[in-house]
Amino acid sequence: MSLRPYLTAFGLQWKIGLRYRIAVVAGLVAQMWFGAVTLMAYASVYHAAPDVQAPLSLRQAMTYTWIQQSLFTLLPLGCLPAIGDAARTGAIVYDLLRPVDMWNWWLSASLARLLGNAVPRAVLLACVAGPLAMLVGLGAWSLAGPASLISAALALLSITLGALLSATIVMWWNILTARTLSPLGSYAVGTPLAVLLSGMLLPLPLYPDWIRPFLLAQPFAGITDIPIRIYLGTPIPGGVATGLGLQIFWLTALTLLGRLWMRQTVNRLEVQGA
Amino acid sequence: MQTPPSLTDAITVSNLRKTYRIREGGSWRGKTRDIVALDGISFSVPKGQIAGFIGPNGAGKSTAIKILSGILRPTSGEVQVNGLVPWTNRIAHVARIGVVFGQRTQLWWDLSVAEGLALLRDIYGVEPERFARNRARLADALDLGGIMDQSVRQLSLGQRMRAEIAASLIHDPDILILDEPTIGLDAPSKLAVRAFVHELCRDRGTTVLLTTHDMHDIEALAERVIVIGHGRILADSPFEDLRTTTLSERILELDFHDTPPELTLPAGAHETAREPHSLTITFDPHQIPAPALVAHVGHLPGLDDLRISRPSIDEIITRFYADHAA
Repeated sequence: MSLRPYLTAFGLQWKIGLRYRIAVVAGLVAQMWFGAVTLMAYASVYHAAPDVQAPLSLRQAMTYTWIQQSLFTLLPLGCLPAIGDAARTGAIVYDLLRPVDMWNWWLSASLARLLGNAVPRAVLLACVAGPLAMLVGLGAWSLAGPASLISAALALLSITLGALLSATIVMWWNILTARTLSPLGSYAVGTPLAVLLSGMLLPLPLYPDWIRPFLLAQPFAGITDIPIRIYLGTPIPGGVATGLGLQIFWLTALTLLGRLWMRQTVNRLEVQGA
Repeated sequence: MQTPPSLTDAITVSNLRKTYRIREGGSWRGKTRDIVALDGISFSVPKGQIAGFIGPNGAGKSTAIKILSGILRPTSGEVQVNGLVPWTNRIAHVARIGVVFGQRTQLWWDLSVAEGLALLRDIYGVEPERFARNRARLADALDLGGIMDQSVRQLSLGQRMRAEIAASLIHDPDILILDEPTIGLDAPSKLAVRAFVHELCRDRGTTVLLTTHDMHDIEALAERVIVIGHGRILADSPFEDLRTTTLSERILELDFHDTPPELTLPAGAHETAREPHSLTITFDPHQIPAPALVAHVGHLPGLDDLRISRPSIDEIITRFYADHAA
């Protein structure tokens, strides 16, 4: 089996993701704004209760927030836009006519789209919230460096798994889109789930004790929360290995079940008209 | 129970059935009802033939096309295309066919035609040399030179359809499936598409399966027409046979510079319309040959002009559908 079709799908979506330069700048401004507001809220909460032993220090909460904001477009908010369009127009039949493994074909495209959106934003925001913020004297509010070199290396591995996991969840939204012939459902379900369960809204370590194990064990934690915890060096119950293990578990489980769901969907896909 | 693959047939279909289960009322607990789209059809298409596949809307054509393309799984029956079962060998099967759905686009809206073709080259794994050759040949035959670098969204419908056909052939498929390839096209574009398909079949021996509602496509291209209705094959013959068996009558139109006279007609001919200055006579050429009828009316007083015509292909097919309540 040649890899070329999948690299082609990846390349195409990567380019499409990079094309919207104004969206990158607009997104950066929005994310800086949300990040700054969240930071100020944390600062006042932490200063109001200096004696409480929080699971994250204020510096850690700030860094967590900056990384989350910079990785916002890595979240599986809905289906791949190209698949949404194809489902609406019926051009999705052509995807079935290509001599490729449908899962890998859509997965390559979905991963490329996530990375094409997220990588430039993440690099820009990290530069602004990290070194640039320190240079202009906002060091107390800036994105802090990794806990150690080992943390940095493991976090890099973990965020790679996180990107793959996110693309795999996007695959589930893609299949939902192919079944309902509309991308709307995937966004209606995907956006709130991803924003809430990834820790984007509130860092998962800051939720009440009793719910934290469940939040860590669900798949969306593996996208950004686990990599950020590893970067910060904050303890993960069971250690870093558990964090990586959870990511690999969800990646495998969602791939196997998703492939089954896809096969069943392709068998009953009845595109109207033509 | 596999039918042995034939060396000469590109497509063999036997006793193909497809039933759709639809939910009525749209609720979770709604009753389901089965709709029979294909009710046991059988046919085969030899290599290098252009077969027209026609039928009214909802007859089951699209279902059959989708099954042959490998994107729909039938309820029962056997199909072999190039010796492969489309829905069990999907990847191997689709690598050897080209498909154009006239109402859909397979090229990428945001890309130029050339970029789209290059992507298809990668998807189908076409070697660079063969790609360059095919691209040049298709660009020439389909007159794509001027639009190669335009993005697909900027193309007119006629230009886009020519690009779509090129896209479906970049990997040298043995079989080309055209689903309404001339829909919405202007006359020159239709003629260009027809001429191209004709040459493709003649020069490269590509097998073509064509569905259309434009009977002129069928008349111009198809050596054979398969008429489908209610999920069954109603006729499978050269088009001329369909004409002979369905509507073999001719029409004689007479123009007069005064009121047409009353006249007695020989057996097999009858008056079908009378206007202030013209008369239409329909006749069966087997009962009364055209020269005899012309001789019979030729001396009528005040006759200015006369024309003999055959029913149009649209009239024939309308009559055929009506006869079969299709």
